[in-house]
Amino acid sequence: MSTTPREQPGRRAKDGSAAPAGQYNALTPDIVRQLQEIVGQRYVIHGDAEKLQPYSHDEVPDPEYAHMPDCVVRPESTEQIAAIMALATRHRIPVTPRGAGSGLSGGAVPIYGGIVLLCDRMNRIIEVDPQNMVVVAQPGVVTNEINDAVREHGLFYAGYPMSVETCYVGGNVAENAGGGKAVKYGVTGRYVLGLELVTPKGEIVRLGGKLVKNVTGYDLIQLMVGSEGTLGVFTEITLKLMPLPKASVDLLVLFGTAEEAIESVPAIMTTAGVIPTSLEFMDRTSVQAACEYLNESIPYQQAGAMLIASVDGPDEEHVRQDYEAIGELCLQRGAMEVYVADNFTTSERIWSVRRNIPEAFAIVSPHQANEDLVVPTAAIPKLLEAMLKLSEKYGVTIPSYGHAGDGNLHTRIIKNPDWPLDKWRKTLPLVLEELYHATAELGGRISGEHGVGHKRKPYLSMFLSKQALEMMRAIKRAIDPQNILNPGKILDS
Amino acid sequence: MRFIVPIKQVPETNAVRMDEETGTMVREGVESIINPLDLYAIEIAIRLREQHGGEVISISMGPANAEKAIREAIAMGCDSGVLITDKAFAGSDTWATSYVLAAAIRRIGDPGLIICGERATDGDTGQVGPGIASFLDLPLATYVGKVEHVDNDVCRVRRLIESGYEVLETDMPAVLTVVKEVADPRLPTLRGKQKARKVEVPAWGADDLDTDPNRLGLKGSPTRVVKIFRPQVTRQCRKVTAVDEESIGPAVDELVEFLRQRELI
Repeated sequence: MSTTPREQPGRRAKDGSAAPAGQYNALTPDIVRQLQEIVGQRYVIHGDAEKLQPYSHDEVPDPEYAHMPDCVVRPESTEQIAAIMALATRHRIPVTPRGAGSGLSGGAVPIYGGIVLLCDRMNRIIEVDPQNMVVVAQPGVVTNEINDAVREHGLFYAGYPMSVETCYVGGNVAENAGGGKAVKYGVTGRYVLGLELVTPKGEIVRLGGKLVKNVTGYDLIQLMVGSEGTLGVFTEITLKLMPLPKASVDLLVLFGTAEEAIESVPAIMTTAGVIPTSLEFMDRTSVQAACEYLNESIPYQQAGAMLIASVDGPDEEHVRQDYEAIGELCLQRGAMEVYVADNFTTSERIWSVRRNIPEAFAIVSPHQANEDLVVPTAAIPKLLEAMLKLSEKYGVTIPSYGHAGDGNLHTRIIKNPDWPLDKWRKTLPLVLEELYHATAELGGRISGEHGVGHKRKPYLSMFLSKQALEMMRAIKRAIDPQNILNPGKILDS
Repeated sequence: MRFIVPIKQVPETNAVRMDEETGTMVREGVESIINPLDLYAIEIAIRLREQHGGEVISISMGPANAEKAIREAIAMGCDSGVLITDKAFAGSDTWATSYVLAAAIRRIGDPGLIICGERATDGDTGQVGPGIASFLDLPLATYVGKVEHVDNDVCRVRRLIESGYEVLETDMPAVLTVVKEVADPRLPTLRGKQKARKVEVPAWGADDLDTDPNRLGLKGSPTRVVKIFRPQVTRQCRKVTAVDEESIGPAVDELVEFLRQRELI
């Protein structure tokens, strides 16, 4: 049996951070046999590079951030996960938990090899409890399936990452996923009432429950939410549900300039007095790329920017009043046109503009940085200004679009197609450095919803104080003293 | 000029499930939308009105909630609409539907162009447009991809045929059924929605139309659905594989021989 040759002490992981000397042991045939005993032989993938390859990366396109696991195990119960963690602890083998692999920060990439702990078989909805308005699910449940299961009770789960049809709820909790509806409904953490998890040492811990209020001890649930699989492996998640909205409408608003569009964002909430479900911004570059890609016939050429505003509510009349208030406000503030979509056909057409922006730019160049900046909502105009300056200074395209209503912009930095690759590789870090500085100065952060992973780790100290970083390290050391659970993510211990 | 656009409300097909036992569509809980192919008819009618003046009237035969489809058409830019609804119309096939729509158009009066979508995405027959033309005894052009010219006397259109295009000129008034190429539909606007909400949409029943009661609804429909079944796929695939330079030659020979045997080359 061959395992990947073990690295020398002090070898460097793909992100350039040093693995602590001699920290991890090799995955021996004996350990593989024990893993097979825990989960069953057919649920351990080992020694077959082709089958292991899909677990070496997430949705981060740059191969620089990928790393092969030594094996993949697919447990189906909490007890099996506890046994795997206890085994990994005994032998000092790194373990990287993984959901659907749709992450955008490298969170599920095993950068020191070892074991990938795949949650795909933990895919049962354990309980739907309409009286308490909660659902209890295993981490491998596809997020959309929760909504399919609770719809008949007139309920829905309001956590809504954009990859809702593929991603697992365990991954959503681990990354504290946000997405398109966060303006009104907030992010995943708001809905997590209870967790069962396995610690790095293999102990099973239950936190919270079907409780709307709970201050019994430290709020460890919210510590676990967004911990990117570095503090525990979730095995059971209790989520709060909301009444299912009966009606919804999407508006597509065309503005002459980006300023008009972005300055209307806070006014929609303060002046019109409506908190939309989604409030998305798309600048001229993004809109033109997407509309050309889609052969869209709305008059996008004249538009300097567009907003999508969605509202939902208990009935059509409520929703109509809300969308009219938003639409009228936008027209008063100089919008060129307000389109209204209240059915599947038109709603799909509006959202496909937003959804196809990444595809449209992938055609321009496959080399691009996919950012996840978040700033206080009112600071977005200043961030846009800074990006425009950077774009001019360095000669790169920086389209800007994203969840304007919550201050989270998915800026991309796209390689000029005429540039040789080495010029791009030299320029990008300079652009990023300046962009992050501008973000920090505005009181922003490097990631709103994608997470840090190992991709954004080198920049963390630009945003967090020494003291804050040390608190985080202390927490990690206390819970995972051997540093075996998803090591090298968020920060180095 | 008066442009009349008959439209149909259909279930949104992405959400449709089939009843495995009966082979019919499960319509409960499925959102209703304007037949997507009717949107092209609405769009070209609005554009022609913008060029030539006049009015666009959208009509729909269906249950009471088909009024929503008419209001959506008005929000896109139609001037008014009429809902044609009556229990007596229930169960109509394409023949009875065309008969009633023709009667409604006769009541509206003075049509210039009657513009229909190519077919509905649920029934998929494409018969109602031609049926209307037949009952009104008007000239018909189907599969219209471009309206080249319209005045009070003639209409010249380019219609899509299997081998390309065909340019037809007809007397006016006339009936057209249009395909996607004719015009990309616009989205409803806020102002359009506001207008559509206020407009009165009259509802006409059997008594409002000059029709023979024996020719309405299920009773007046000669079509009978005898059996619903899934068609068998009879196409057969033959794959010719070339993996490297050496295998390209033999693969090409094999393909040429295959086509020759069938006298295709």
